Amino acid sequence: MSIVAGVDIGNSTTEVCIGEYVQGKPVRFLSGSSVMTTGTKGTLANIHGILAALKEAMGRIGRDVSGIDLIRLNEAAPVIGDTAMETLTETIITDSSMIGHNPSTPAGAGQAAGELLSFDRLGRGLPGTPYIVFVSGDHGYEEVAERINETAGRLDVVGMILQADEAVLVENRLARKIPIVDEVKRIDRIPDGKMAAIEVALPGQFIRMLSNPYGIATLLHLNADETRTVTPIAKSLIGNRSAVVIRTPNGDIRENVLPAGEIYLDAEHPVRISLDEGADKIMKAVSDAGKIRDVTGQADTNVGNMLNRIRKSMSEVSGETDADIHITDILAVDTLAPVLISGALAGETCLEKAVGIAAMVRTQQLPMRQIAAKLSDVLHTQTAVAGVEAVMASLGALTTPGTALPLAILDMGGGSTDAAIIREDGSVSMTHQAGAGELVSMLIQTELGLDNRYMAEQIKRYPLAKVESLFHMRMENGEMYFVQESIDPRFYGRVVLLTESGLVRVEKDVPMERIREIRREAKKKVFLTNALRALRSVAPDHNLRRISNVVLVGGSAADFEIPEMLMEEFAGYGIVCGRGNIRGTEGPRNAVATGLVLSYGGENR
Amino acid sequence: MISRRPSIFIYTHRADPDFLREVQAGIEEENVTSEVFEKEEADADLLAYDACEASMMGSGIGISGENVALQMRGRKPKESVCNIHMPTFSACRIIGSNSARVLKKQCLRDLE
Repeated sequence: MSIVAGVDIGNSTTEVCIGEYVQGKPVRFLSGSSVMTTGTKGTLANIHGILAALKEAMGRIGRDVSGIDLIRLNEAAPVIGDTAMETLTETIITDSSMIGHNPSTPAGAGQAAGELLSFDRLGRGLPGTPYIVFVSGDHGYEEVAERINETAGRLDVVGMILQADEAVLVENRLARKIPIVDEVKRIDRIPDGKMAAIEVALPGQFIRMLSNPYGIATLLHLNADETRTVTPIAKSLIGNRSAVVIRTPNGDIRENVLPAGEIYLDAEHPVRISLDEGADKIMKAVSDAGKIRDVTGQADTNVGNMLNRIRKSMSEVSGETDADIHITDILAVDTLAPVLISGALAGETCLEKAVGIAAMVRTQQLPMRQIAAKLSDVLHTQTAVAGVEAVMASLGALTTPGTALPLAILDMGGGSTDAAIIREDGSVSMTHQAGAGELVSMLIQTELGLDNRYMAEQIKRYPLAKVESLFHMRMENGEMYFVQESIDPRFYGRVVLLTESGLVRVEKDVPMERIREIRREAKKKVFLTNALRALRSVAPDHNLRRISNVVLVGGSAADFEIPEMLMEEFAGYGIVCGRGNIRGTEGPRNAVATGLVLSYGGENR
Repeated sequence: MISRRPSIFIYTHRADPDFLREVQAGIEEENVTSEVFEKEEADADLLAYDACEASMMGSGIGISGENVALQMRGRKPKESVCNIHMPTFSACRIIGSNSARVLKKQCLRDLE
């Protein structure tokens, strides 16, 4: 009797399958586990994750890791993936030129233009000049209202900008109603004496004058040239409930369109294509180029810098020089990124066109043997590197009930999307494509403007709900869900994620419908595109219609909606497609680890 | 039909006037009105619970001396959304604002 452990190190997770071989009998699967991969795939840092996964799997059957007789590691494909994002246009507005944000409670309504006057210098104001008074958070609402009321008849105050969240409190105490914007963080950067325009929209409406270049021109008396320069400001104020635009005569306001640059594909059919053409055209060029040897970008452009960055980080991972790193596949995706406007006074952002790229880098060989040797040292257990990843995944996928040869698998992981076809004679064709779960997370993070990748990962993984009262939630599919016990008030009115361990708050104030749309679009952009091109690449004659069935495996196949998206898409090609269920119990995970255990039996038959 | 302007009830027992003022300011900034009632009960949790039950707004505030509590409809008497002894003025504003946000169906702001 011998206990064999199959270990699959992926970009995101390390998976283990434990099987028992008794002379003359087929393998008996005992246990499995999945933990986060420690360090970059294929490096010695993976050891910690492997040990944890082995411990967990053996623990489940009440045994110690020392009970393992043989560990089989996957011969990982020598490809590693990376992602990068670059905005293509950038609005640069300096010299404190605008405030355009959505404080929850601005006050008053309408628009006005006037000279900026600090509240501290109220006494210096002159009769007959319209003023917009700005007030630091040091002054309370009662004091502010009282002093402004005192100026009535002497000064013409047409609008106010407050640092504190007190617009309504001040307005309720003013004798004359004026538009007031509050919660302006950087009040210290407002220049005294400059001309400004202020607008607060009516309830339920958006501003109209300041989101229109000619509206700004009307209020601030701009000429044609100046009007052109404020266009980016107007653009970034669209959809706001309140805004202030400050005229800075010598201000540097320009929309700087950085050169996006061209991508050079060194391939069977070399191609150069501009990043401006958009993701669809780029992907068409990639597909027409044939076998790609390397991808480079035009020097000193966005794409050039982006690809160089990928090359650099990959060379650090693999220990090879930049020149030895060859990008053999890319997946380009169009997206929008919120960019912080420099010179903004309340942390405003504006959406800029951006492109995300996942790149696949072929390295000499990942140091799997070093990992095997180290494992062997630590555990005093025989450790071998065995089997080609795609073949192992196919073998594992075949344990899904209802499958038979020939079989196509689509392995959707964190870093790459791989496809393989295993035929009746055992021959296998396979491909590795750049872009998978991690690119989806990056897109979600960028489009929602999230601070960290972890939250984006969570949003990718779990369905959404809106807590509408302490006793019910509206699910993203419209269903109402009622609870007996009160929901924690911290979740009240929030969009939440429905995770196994309970509700998780989405901190960003974005409607549930918008988050759902961004999440689903990101998955479609990456996985639909990649699934089609990966399967096309391994299909007989590159014809998708010649594939009859596809088993989805890998971490991203466990996703709650990606398999359904693919099924819908593949139905059009007459392909039967479904989520794998490895060993009839594991779902789509653990295919490679299971294949490693199975192949041991085949080799020793 | 009896109709009156909806307002948030603040039940007080010898409330610290500064805390009361700041809580009311928080409610007013959200464009909601409030009414104050002095009560015999001295437990801020129970004051908030009673205020909440008596009002049609789904939330109520109790202030007893230097304790300020916020309660939402449906929760148990001793399980206030928050009950703070000697809150800062900004916390008082947030409690007031949150009581108004409950009826506006908006998420509650976190207390610092």
